[in-house]
Amino acid sequence: MKINRFWSWLFFGVGALYFVLPLISTAEFSLKMRRGAYTLDAYWTVLADPRFQQTFTYSVLMALATIAFGVLLVVPTAYWVRLKLPRWRPVLEFITLLPLIIPPIVIVFGYIRLYNTSSWLPLTGSAMGTNLLLMFGYVILSLPYMYRAVDTGLRAIDVATLTEAAQSLGAGWVTILTRVILPNVAVAVLSGAFITFAIVIGEFVMAALLNRPSFGPYMQLLGANRAYEPAALAVIAFAITWGCMALIQFVSKFAPRAPGAQH
Amino acid sequence: MPEPFLSIQYVRKSFGATTVVQDFNLDVEAGEFISFLGPSGCGKTTVLRMVAGFEEPSGGRIVIGGKDVTGLKPNQRNIGMVFQAYALFPNLTVAQNIGFGLKVAGVARAEIDSRVAEMLDIIKLPAGEFGARYPYQLSGGQQQRVALARALAPRPKVLLLDEPLSALDAKVRVSLREEIRSIQKKLGITTIFVTHDQEEALSISDRIVVMYGGKAEQVGTAFEIYNRPATRFVAGFVGTLNVLEGRLGNAGKVQVGSGEIALREEPAGGRSGDTVSLALRPEAIALGRRDGDDAVLPGEIADVHFLGSVIRVRVRAGDSIVSLDTFNNPATPPPRIGDKVEISFSSGDVMLLN
Repeated sequence: MKINRFWSWLFFGVGALYFVLPLISTAEFSLKMRRGAYTLDAYWTVLADPRFQQTFTYSVLMALATIAFGVLLVVPTAYWVRLKLPRWRPVLEFITLLPLIIPPIVIVFGYIRLYNTSSWLPLTGSAMGTNLLLMFGYVILSLPYMYRAVDTGLRAIDVATLTEAAQSLGAGWVTILTRVILPNVAVAVLSGAFITFAIVIGEFVMAALLNRPSFGPYMQLLGANRAYEPAALAVIAFAITWGCMALIQFVSKFAPRAPGAQH
Repeated sequence: MPEPFLSIQYVRKSFGATTVVQDFNLDVEAGEFISFLGPSGCGKTTVLRMVAGFEEPSGGRIVIGGKDVTGLKPNQRNIGMVFQAYALFPNLTVAQNIGFGLKVAGVARAEIDSRVAEMLDIIKLPAGEFGARYPYQLSGGQQQRVALARALAPRPKVLLLDEPLSALDAKVRVSLREEIRSIQKKLGITTIFVTHDQEEALSISDRIVVMYGGKAEQVGTAFEIYNRPATRFVAGFVGTLNVLEGRLGNAGKVQVGSGEIALREEPAGGRSGDTVSLALRPEAIALGRRDGDDAVLPGEIADVHFLGSVIRVRVRAGDSIVSLDTFNNPATPPPRIGDKVEISFSSGDVMLLN
């Protein structure tokens, strides 16, 4: 028993070091901008940079748009498939997994070929059109996470019976989705939303190839030209991701409890 | 004959090549309490779901209050439904659940509040204590009461109950079924109750539809269903039944083992020498010769179960085993296995099975 515990702790320690050491090193390096002292100079330099503010704001807005569109796309689809087309669930799962298999660079080149200025829908011809294209790309990238989060939320409730109960009380599809289904999967949707937020904030390939002023390319640019600021930026990016994870944990406490969980 | 309030006419339902309901007909009067009784897979829930609009009939029509609702969506039928799994909305409080249908209908807030209070009063859950609770904070019985109140709050034309008591423990089941019946009588709402529990159906229904293989085998009151079953299935499914196999003789006499029973009515189309099945309820049979009984069969005690106030005795009569109940008498010890006995009954209680 004691030996088992020893090995468990050993493996845990090695794993933790593997993850934590690079982070500690990066954080420590980001504080050494001023010779001989630990300061937050690199952070102040980054935060004061107008390009940081512009790109970060742009990425936050893109993330919010991606989340809104993703929720509108995924929640009704996952709900409908669960309710009416359960046989199609494996197909939908496969489709939502494709973004993990197809590299973003392939997707974005496909977009550029399909929607360039000489195509039937020249989205890349304007900044707004390209923003829209980038948002669609982000929705695709976040699809595996958003779909799984929502599907897990739907699995926790008896979708079919709740739908029928609402129908028998006179509710139409919009009422059922907004007043019955969505509130009961809100926590799952929020989990998907926070993961989407973290993905969009750090995404580089699509934004760079579509030449949009987002946070990912800014981090890359800074990394290529400066020493301490990229480390500070990496720590900030990690903090945002962890903040999102913490929020997922926090909001999951407010999930409506299934009636089966009586006391 | 008054115009039926709910009329199910030649309704069929097929899933692919499988027909689960065939030519189902039923007229229900306003305020009547009808139970659909049958084993799993007999089509009772499918008929209920077609009335609710959750399943589209493959043929036939459904009329409620003189209006053909066959093509209407579930949310256009004004039908209240209670589900086996309660189906309360987990994100809403008890009061919000009950008021859901009224809110969807656009009823004013004050009216919703007053109706919710009225419904909570009907289901005997004090508004102050339970109104703000969430479904997970209620017991199974309380949840089903709230589900009933929610279904009744919008004043539906018909109330449908899909095995509402199946998930509850035995004690709650008995008290809640009586409560459902009392609320139904008070509100005078036309109700269809689906169950596979014969005791439930027999105890609370105005009429019972016994279903088997997608068909209505018999429609009648509990008394008719129990005492005059129309088919062998109904006779076997409702209550305990003793079946005696015999050979038809002359003048309506049937040879059972070494005994003979004179039937009151000769079986139609029966010929001498035909094998016939006779059915008797356990309470119709007495151990020994009972005054007034005109049929007596010799037998041998095969088994004895002491159940407290009642002793269940199984007697071998010819090739058949007959089960009968006698009251416990402290002064008389129960019979022993192997004892030679006689059993008696009135030939008027004998049912000839088709």
